[in-house]
Order: sequence, then structure tokens, then C-alpha cells
Amino acid sequence: MKRGAILAVAAAIYLLAAWMVAPGFYDGFGPPQAYNWTCPPPQAGANIKPKSGHVEIKVINGKSDANSAFTDDGQIVIGFLPGAFDTTGRTTITVDITPLATCPQPPGLKFVTNVYQITASAPLVTPANLEMLYSNLEPQPDDVYRADDPEGAWHSIGHASTAPPFTIITTTTKLGYFAAGYKQSSPASGAVVVGGGQVLPIIVAILIVVVVLAGLPLAMMRRRRSSGDKSDGDEP
Amino acid sequence: MAGYVLVVELSRAMVVQEPGLAPAALLLGGAALAAIAVGWRSELLGLGRSRFGLRLLGGLALGAVLLLPAAARSGAMPMLPAGLAFAAIAVSIGEEIAFRGVLYAVLEEVGGAPLAILGSTLLWTLAHVLSHPPAFLGAVAAAGLLLALWRWACKDLVGPIIGHVIADLGL
Repeated sequence: MKRGAILAVAAAIYLLAAWMVAPGFYDGFGPPQAYNWTCPPPQAGANIKPKSGHVEIKVINGKSDANSAFTDDGQIVIGFLPGAFDTTGRTTITVDITPLATCPQPPGLKFVTNVYQITASAPLVTPANLEMLYSNLEPQPDDVYRADDPEGAWHSIGHASTAPPFTIITTTTKLGYFAAGYKQSSPASGAVVVGGGQVLPIIVAILIVVVVLAGLPLAMMRRRRSSGDKSDGDEP
Repeated sequence: MAGYVLVVELSRAMVVQEPGLAPAALLLGGAALAAIAVGWRSELLGLGRSRFGLRLLGGLALGAVLLLPAAARSGAMPMLPAGLAFAAIAVSIGEEIAFRGVLYAVLEEVGGAPLAILGSTLLWTLAHVLSHPPAFLGAVAAAGLLLALWRWACKDLVGPIIGHVIADLGL
């Protein structure tokens, strides 16, 4: 009984500790931090609005320096090589990343990230490396898509064959609007839908019901056995 | 032995960050952790067959407790790529065999149950320093303590293995 009480206290400590950090116990397979959504999906919990980013790139000897711009929450990073911009008449290049306040879903595409607008004070002349994080609450995206106008046509700019978990990498020769997603006609490749929607509470509820339903007969059997042992013991 | 487990865990955490290497790093890491149990009698590790139904049930209960905060918060399960899902199972089993199995048994032999519980929890938390942001380490330590206390209270490792696998697949 004493051991049971200690276990119950340990469970309570865990619940408290895990409640203070979302998603709680986590073993490093999903993104370490919850995705900050512009338009959170129904299954997302408490949401923080996505951050913007800004960088000023120096022009040294007529060439723009190597640098990268990223949002404060790290959800999108764009890296520029030396000489990536047309620097005519400039001493610095300003790059801004802004999450779009709306969530366009062009026909035939399903975006699984926010849409970000990336602007620069000078035209890009060499490809830039683009990295986007995505959430574990949505299927894995197939490609990064780019558009000049978020309500206009979106074009795939592909993806690198290897990337860290929950990250999609590509290169772009133009700035504009960016989002990661997949064609809606086909499910995202490599994505195994383990769950989704409101399935986690249902699974936890099922686990609890199974434990209670299976535990009751076991507890009764143990009680009968122990009372049987006691009566056996009473016998001379 | 603790050094070996920590090196395996920390190496795994570093290699997992390399593009395309995550599933392989997790699978190999899980196997390397489980290899530490070679030569140990299963009973000493809490892997006996007696009361298997209760152990199984305990694992489901531990899984429910570990997932409860996430279930209350978000309601969604991750969509793990198949490779990562298999790797998650392998590494969960490997970690339980290493921390609550062999390291627990060694520490218990050296200093009794208190050292085994606290020592295995401390090592488990240290092993997750690289793979987790600092804010998560409290929850990691609390989970380690709960699983170690189960190992002590029930002399069982089947429950922690099942609970850990369920939690890793769910998160």
C-alpha cells in the first residue's frame, strides 16, 4: 500500500512537471517546441502567434556578405552566400521575413506550415538556401511552394533529399511568399498517419478503461486469494 | 557501464540531428543500449514472466499517465514517418533495458533501492541533456523517477517498457 502511495505521488509529480511544458514527456522524435501557427489546426493546443525576422547584410567590396535571416521562433531560415544580391549603389541589404496574417489554401494544394513573406531591399542574383520547420500535427510536406502573390499561382520549388526531422530544405532563386505542403490529390509521401484529430484523448481514455476493467477482476482475484490464505491460516 | 550508456545516448542525440540519419541513429542507439543486457539474467532486470497480465496492465497505465498531459493539452497524435515510428520503439526498449534494467540492477547491488532509483533517474536525465531543451528536463526527470519507482515497487521492467513505447509513439 505504501509503495502504491509513493507511485501515486510520483505520477502526480510527473503530471505537474509535464503540464508545465508542452507536450510533456517527449523523447526527441517530434519537434522540440510546438509550432507557432497563424491558423492553428483544431488539434493544436495553446498557440503562440508566429514571429517575424529581420537582418541587415553588409556590402563588402561591392559584394553582399554571407548571412542568414530567420524568424525569432526559428520556423523559417533563409541563408545567403556571398554576392547573393545585386548590390548596385547599396552599402547594406535589408531582409525581412513576415508571417502572412491569413492562411491561403490554393486549389489542389494543402499547406502544412504558415505562409511567410520574404522581402529584400535588393534583387537576389544567386540561389538562397531555405529551411522551414513543420509541425508533427500535420502530414509531412512534399515540397516548398513559392508565389509572388499569396492569392495567385503557387509553384513548387522542390525539396532537398535529406533534412533533419520535421524540417524541409530547398533553394530559391526568387524571394516572395513561401509555404510547405503537398498536392491534395495524393497523400503526403512518407507520412504514416499514426493518429490525428482528437485521437490522443480517445487513446488515453481507452487505456484508462482497459486498465480499470482488466484491473478490477485482478484485484478481486487477489482479494479472494488473500482472504483464502487468511482462512487457511486460521485453520488449526 | 554508466559511461557507456551516456556516450551511446549523447552520440545518438548528436547523430539524429544530421540530415537523413535520424532513423538509423535511433535504431542503432536502441540496439547499442539493449546490448548492455547481454549476459544478465532476465529476472535480475525485472523481465520475469510471472504475473505477466499485471505487468502488461501496468505498462498501459504508465502509458496513460505519461500521455495524459499531452492529451489534455492538444488532443493530437504526431504523424511519425514509418522509419521514425519503428526507431522510436527500438530506442524506448533500449533505454528501458539500459536505465531501469541494467543500471538500476547495478546501482541496487551497490547501494540499495534508493541509490538505484535516484541514480538511474539522474543518469536518464543527463542522457537527455543534448536531445532536449532545458525546459523539458524537469518532465524528463519526473518521468524517469516514475518509471524507476515502478521498477522498485513492482520489481518489473515490462511495465516501463510498454509505457515508454506508448508515450514515445504518442508524442
